[in-house]
Amino acid sequence: MQKDVIVATEISREFHRADRQLVQALARVSFAVERGQFVCIVGPSGCGKSTLLQLIAGLLLPSGGTMAVNGAPVTGPGSDRGMVFQKDSVFPWLRVIRNVEYGLKCRGVDKAERQRIASLYLERVGLSHVAWAWPRELSGGMLKRVAVATVFANGADVLLLDEPFGAVDYVTKRLLHDVLLTLWSEAESGARRTVVFVTHDVDEALILADRILVMNGGRLVDDLAVEAPRPRTTDSLLKAEMVRHKHVLLTHLGLETRAPAAAGPALRVAP
Amino acid sequence: MSSLEQADEGRRTPALAPRRAAMPGWPLLGRAIARRVDVLGLLGIVLFIVLWQLLTYVIPRFSLPTPRDVAQRVAEDFVLADYLVAYGLPATGLFDSMLYTTTNVLIAVAIGGAVGTVFGLITARFELARAILDPVTMTAGTVPILVLAPFFLIWFGIGRVSSVLLVVIYVAVILYIYAQRAADNLDPVYEDAAYTLGASPRRAVWDVLIPGTVPQILGGIRIALAGAWGLEAIAELLGSQHGIGKIVQVLAGSTDILGIFAALLVLGVVAVLFDALAALLFSRLAAWSVAARTSGE
Amino acid sequence: MNWLRRHRVSLLVLLGMAAIWQVLSMIFTAEAVPGEPMVPGWQIVFSRTLLSLADYWQGGLGVPSVASGAERSYPAALLSIVSHSLDTMVRLYTGLLIGGIVGTALGLAVSWSRWTRRLVDLPVQFLRTLPLLAMVPLFQLWFGIDFLGKVIFVAYGVGVIFVAGVVNAVKNVPQIYIDNARMLGASRRRVYTTVILPSIFPELRATILLSLGIGWAAVLGAEYLGAQSGLGYIIIYSEQFAYLDRMFLVALIFILYASVSYWLFARLSAKMLQWMPRAGRITALG
Repeated sequence: MQKDVIVATEISREFHRADRQLVQALARVSFAVERGQFVCIVGPSGCGKSTLLQLIAGLLLPSGGTMAVNGAPVTGPGSDRGMVFQKDSVFPWLRVIRNVEYGLKCRGVDKAERQRIASLYLERVGLSHVAWAWPRELSGGMLKRVAVATVFANGADVLLLDEPFGAVDYVTKRLLHDVLLTLWSEAESGARRTVVFVTHDVDEALILADRILVMNGGRLVDDLAVEAPRPRTTDSLLKAEMVRHKHVLLTHLGLETRAPAAAGPALRVAP
Repeated sequence: MSSLEQADEGRRTPALAPRRAAMPGWPLLGRAIARRVDVLGLLGIVLFIVLWQLLTYVIPRFSLPTPRDVAQRVAEDFVLADYLVAYGLPATGLFDSMLYTTTNVLIAVAIGGAVGTVFGLITARFELARAILDPVTMTAGTVPILVLAPFFLIWFGIGRVSSVLLVVIYVAVILYIYAQRAADNLDPVYEDAAYTLGASPRRAVWDVLIPGTVPQILGGIRIALAGAWGLEAIAELLGSQHGIGKIVQVLAGSTDILGIFAALLVLGVVAVLFDALAALLFSRLAAWSVAARTSGE
Repeated sequence: MNWLRRHRVSLLVLLGMAAIWQVLSMIFTAEAVPGEPMVPGWQIVFSRTLLSLADYWQGGLGVPSVASGAERSYPAALLSIVSHSLDTMVRLYTGLLIGGIVGTALGLAVSWSRWTRRLVDLPVQFLRTLPLLAMVPLFQLWFGIDFLGKVIFVAYGVGVIFVAGVVNAVKNVPQIYIDNARMLGASRRRVYTTVILPSIFPELRATILLSLGIGWAAVLGAEYLGAQSGLGYIIIYSEQFAYLDRMFLVALIFILYASVSYWLFARLSAKMLQWMPRAGRITALG
């Protein structure tokens, strides 16, 4: 198996606006993600992070450059890259458990087996009690858990999450972090799935990620390694190194203008 | 994960919530009845009939028959209306004629609904098809379909085909518009999600596009059904040997207003019944749909 | 020029349909009646058919009628088209106006109180579901087959739509606007005029467009079943002689009017909506 699961080389992506103007969403972005890494992409609104995620997912194709996953160029969406969307993507016309089974059904897994797998993951996210409910009966946070259970049940190698927890309240968000991290880390080091998580919430990125890619104006402007040990708690965020990371991130986001106190070994600025 | 289940406790939506509290200050039986039956609605209907009766004291009975007269006439003519034979028609009654009309309407709605839905969905996803069909259907949508009736009478004669075809076109245009709009408004996140779960384009149509647009399509069918009754009736009025429309036409010739009232009452009641049936059936079929998203919200 | 480019496919489609018609007319040369083809080609439609419409001109304005022995002429044909079109349109628009005003007034009156609204709801729904077109003979027997009868019929059909539409629109005004106004101290009447009325304009627009469609159908149906003039009258009269070409020409004219009126109404009402006050604003607390 290759060490680098996702390889982006000089990716560019343009859009035509309604008035026929050209918008450069991404300009020559290059990076590589190792297998089993939990990467967060952070940046202000409009920096192109969602577009980048869609390019990895294959829902968009690049205008320039190449995107490769597991060595093969991305030509379209596929079940090797599972995605949790910002909006609710749980099908309202299927019961919760049928939603979780959906990917397995597409692959031809037989009925009993896929129900078993789906029930298993629903239990892992704490939703066994609503397995047979309709999505409209569930709250936003519960629907997010269903979406997470669905992509895990489908066994995707790469997990892509596009600001999935933006619309839920703080308490639910922390609980969802626990769910996600537990499901991700329970596989052994070598067999872990690779996660790319887009967010604008700096604290969220620091709690979740091994590595943070910072984007601004369609470009990759920074690449931080977050080496704090897991599991991370409230106290982890108060450690000196984490505070430093936070200053760096907030500076990139334009919320602080102070230069970081000392450029430690953890900082690598992308070309 | 008890902490998660704990968090869920505060999140119950109405479907899982405890029953609505009883209305304070009302006797128990009254509360039970009020919950099940729309009291004001029924009162409204009763008032309507009372108003009708009152009007008959002012307007001559020839022009405005009393509710009782009408009910009586419906009962008399239900199975067999003898006088029709005098007009050269086969022996029939209100029931048989209504059966003929109903059959035509249901067939036409089924065919028109299928055709309109299919083309509406196709044009929502294929630009060329939309460019070709939209001008045709949009024009057809602004013009009363009735304008085609005389043509059909000449081309297809005065049988079933003319009136059914007329209604088919009417229903197809409506469903085309509804299906197309539904597919346009279906949030693309659902199809994207399906693709990332490994669905093929064919699956995306069957598992996402069709279930996702069913509520609006059913709504369109209900609306088309409502208009279909009148169109079928007037098509029969213009040229037919059977059906409720034919009866009205014959009675109009002999200025039998009471008879017309009776026929229209039967038609109206059937239309209302089918509408209620459709509403019930469709709300069952689309029971999940409260939360279906339309893009742009 | 831009408009042409944007709609080029639509125009092509229209031209295509016209071409298909022409081809069909050359294939189906059958005639319902000798001299009257079932599928008249365009060359016939705009010459012989157009001329034949002169038959429906009753004479006057210096152009004698065919009935009195004169020959068919283009002026007579044009005059007959104009006169019958006017008849139809006057019936339609008068009915629309009366039905719209009365229907809206009734709807607003009924929605003043929640109780009256709920009382009236079911009967109005029933009347709305009653097939309008089936009631043409009834209205004819009540009000005659002249102008009055037709106008009242159209007004009834349109009126029911407006009552139902207005009641529904008022019911759907977001409660939060009303609450907002009440909290700012507005009286019930002020809430009605400054919040509810402006809020229902968008839905009223949909109701107007819907009633336009119903109106055209109603006037056509009424003219089919007993009239002495009007476009519907010409169509049904020609149908009895199987003059398909005349039916076709008049139907085309009718379609043109209906489409144009629809387009006009849509544009006008969109413009009106632009300068209508938006809901939620209380104009001058006082």
